[in-house]
Amino acid sequence: MMLKKITSLACTLLLISGCSRRETPVQIGNREQILHRNAGSEPKDLDPQTTTGGVESLIQDALFEGLVAWEPDDTDPHPGVAERWDISDDGTVYTFYLRPNARWSNGDMLTTHDFVFSYQRLFSPALGAPYAYMHYVIKNAEEYTKGDITDFSQVGVKALDDHTLQFTLKAPTPYFLRLVRDRSAYPVHPATILKFGKIDEPNTKWTHTGNLVGNGPFMLEYWQTNRKIKTVKNPYYWDAKTVRLKEIHFYPIEDVTAEERAFRTGQLHITKETPSERIQFYRQNHPDLIRLDPLLGTYFYELNTTKPPLDDVRVRQALAMALDREQIVKHICKAGEPAAYNLTPPDTAGYTSRAKIEYDPAKARKLLAEAGYPNGKGFPKMEILYNTHKAHMGIAEVIQQQWKEALNIDVELLNMEWKTYLAMKQEHKYDIARASWIGDYIDPSTFLEMYITGGGNNNAGWSNKNYDALIQAAGSEMDQVKRFELFQQAEEILMMEAPIIPIYYYHNKALVQSSVKNWMPNPLDRHPYKYVYLEADE
Amino acid sequence: MSRKPVKNSLWADSWKQLRKNHAAIAGLIILIILITASALAPLLTPYSFEQQNLELGAVKPSLHHWLGTDTLGRDLFTRLLYGGRTSFLVGICATAVSLLIGVPYGAVSGYAGGKVDSVMMRIVDILYTMPFTILVIILMVVFGRNILLMFGAIGAIQWLVMARIIRGQVMALRKQAFVEAAIAIGASHPRIIFKHIIPNVLGIIIVYTTLTIPHVMLMETFLSFLGLGIQPPMSSWGLLIKDGASVMETYPWLLISPAIVFSVTLFSMNFLGDGLRDALDPRFSKGKF
Repeated sequence: MMLKKITSLACTLLLISGCSRRETPVQIGNREQILHRNAGSEPKDLDPQTTTGGVESLIQDALFEGLVAWEPDDTDPHPGVAERWDISDDGTVYTFYLRPNARWSNGDMLTTHDFVFSYQRLFSPALGAPYAYMHYVIKNAEEYTKGDITDFSQVGVKALDDHTLQFTLKAPTPYFLRLVRDRSAYPVHPATILKFGKIDEPNTKWTHTGNLVGNGPFMLEYWQTNRKIKTVKNPYYWDAKTVRLKEIHFYPIEDVTAEERAFRTGQLHITKETPSERIQFYRQNHPDLIRLDPLLGTYFYELNTTKPPLDDVRVRQALAMALDREQIVKHICKAGEPAAYNLTPPDTAGYTSRAKIEYDPAKARKLLAEAGYPNGKGFPKMEILYNTHKAHMGIAEVIQQQWKEALNIDVELLNMEWKTYLAMKQEHKYDIARASWIGDYIDPSTFLEMYITGGGNNNAGWSNKNYDALIQAAGSEMDQVKRFELFQQAEEILMMEAPIIPIYYYHNKALVQSSVKNWMPNPLDRHPYKYVYLEADE
Repeated sequence: MSRKPVKNSLWADSWKQLRKNHAAIAGLIILIILITASALAPLLTPYSFEQQNLELGAVKPSLHHWLGTDTLGRDLFTRLLYGGRTSFLVGICATAVSLLIGVPYGAVSGYAGGKVDSVMMRIVDILYTMPFTILVIILMVVFGRNILLMFGAIGAIQWLVMARIIRGQVMALRKQAFVEAAIAIGASHPRIIFKHIIPNVLGIIIVYTTLTIPHVMLMETFLSFLGLGIQPPMSSWGLLIKDGASVMETYPWLLISPAIVFSVTLFSMNFLGDGLRDALDPRFSKGKF
């Protein structure tokens, strides 16, 4: 009997000690330099030219590198594939000198011709790259994208030789260096693209496991749908000696609660965000783990202006004015996010919008009555589309209630997973959709250019000639003061017309393990992986 | 002709049997209380299920809010009652759909036998292999989302099992003397099936129904978990449990009470079903189902 007890005790002890000795992925990662990061969702694709989401972007940053790159602690352009560059005195000609030792992840030399190929792909009408419009500052890019010219040699992207690349711009563009840093300008490997399809063919298999060739500090080892994307250090990367991480694993965990639990149990180094009900807890107990930093981005609702009743500006204004945003940021977001009354976040490169949507339920009711729905009578049932996420649901529920109270209208909620949600928005198969925009570079144009007629990210289907003209004029305006004035006028139109309803400005609220080093706050949430390393605290 | 008094005594007998089973009776009483409370929800609570109180937020159970409030400041007791309406409605309606399809289908298949039976049962087999989630997603995409469709979708899956069970019973019955007598008199097939055979499998049907309802309620939970079921601000027990589970470490009361109520309901139904089975059909022994 005694023996039995002792044995069972010994077994229990063994079990307990066995458990405590088992290392978590984070601990193993700290030792082996393997970073576990949650991407927040399953990426739509890894193709830099055809994707728009932040989920895709943070993986692409590991797999590709542009001419200009990031450093951990500032937002200035730093040498990437290009080791240096010249800018002509009038600011319209940029000449980049590529590193002679720049290579693709299969060992091929990376030359200027690859960049020309990538830009041609980006501007190909058939590819339909959603970000092509952003690069219209390049001479003839817009004409080529719209099919007005078919000869790419007329576009202002030229390989002077294998290592010298020249851009000719329509007009001086102070943020051009930040533009070539965008993921839509990441180079793609021509031979790989052509092996799996035509240059302008979207959704080919070139990004799949075993196919993808990139030029970033890491390369794709495998992509397991809905499980994991594993990237490993790229030995051919020109600066491989700086890269200290051996592997980065990206996870597609959408549920913030599950994500936080994974963080707490040592499965993740970095989360996408923090569940709002846990923010208070982390602030009090682990202020070193939670990173609450302003992010250059806006959370807003997009209205499908192509179908009634949202084609009526009065209805859109009424919806926008009836929202009590302060309530939302105070009780739902909880990370100190400021309420948004216009699209461009305040002080974006010195620009703060004058135009503001007011919170005025009485006026909203009046507008709705004028549009033919007095006290919400006869207002058709509409749906708020959002991608499956607790925070989006909470906000949608509050907005549903606020509209009900202020305007006496009923809206329904519709949640979809990320890919379906994106597709429904792009095909205009929605009424009201949750949307967000994180700036691609620090300039108001990254926000305001989105709503030009037919813009790749203009899912509201909104079109306004004056707005287009102002944005275009701003694109070629050299004087920064005048340029900002044009943006001011454009944003005034945008807020008057209300194809979108701004709700709040983003805060980054990621959880980051203390072992992650060189992970600095960044208003665009870009963290160059090549400098990141792991070091466990003793 | 003399079947009527026999039938009556069967029911009386069963009721006697059932009354002896304390667990089943307790289950029945709890169910009656829960269903009544859900049905009378507006009378029992001063709050509305969608009225938010953001200033209040999530608070612990108190005198004002018996079970506390959720993160949007909605009274949990109220939402639980209204959620019960949805859950019971889904359970009962979807089960009714499954009965409407499954019983005649199984009866015809079992009665006809032979090739007809083979074909009909293979159809059931094929439908049975269809993954439920995918079927529901397809239905949602084609017909849009509404609660009636969900009843239909769940019922459309559940009837398969019902049909199989009924078929087996009918196959045994059709060889019995009373059926052969009916045939000899010249009764039509539909009349034999619906007037003579189905009343004889009523016991099985009732028993199985009490077991299907909790199963369907669980399915609704699962669909709501996936975001395919009820959409907010409507509530259902499944939705409440899902929301509660996501914040259980910070606001545990949001999970505890819906989970308890749901489990109690499931237990009650299963006990009642067990009891009914024993009472209505002495041939079945416990736990064989």
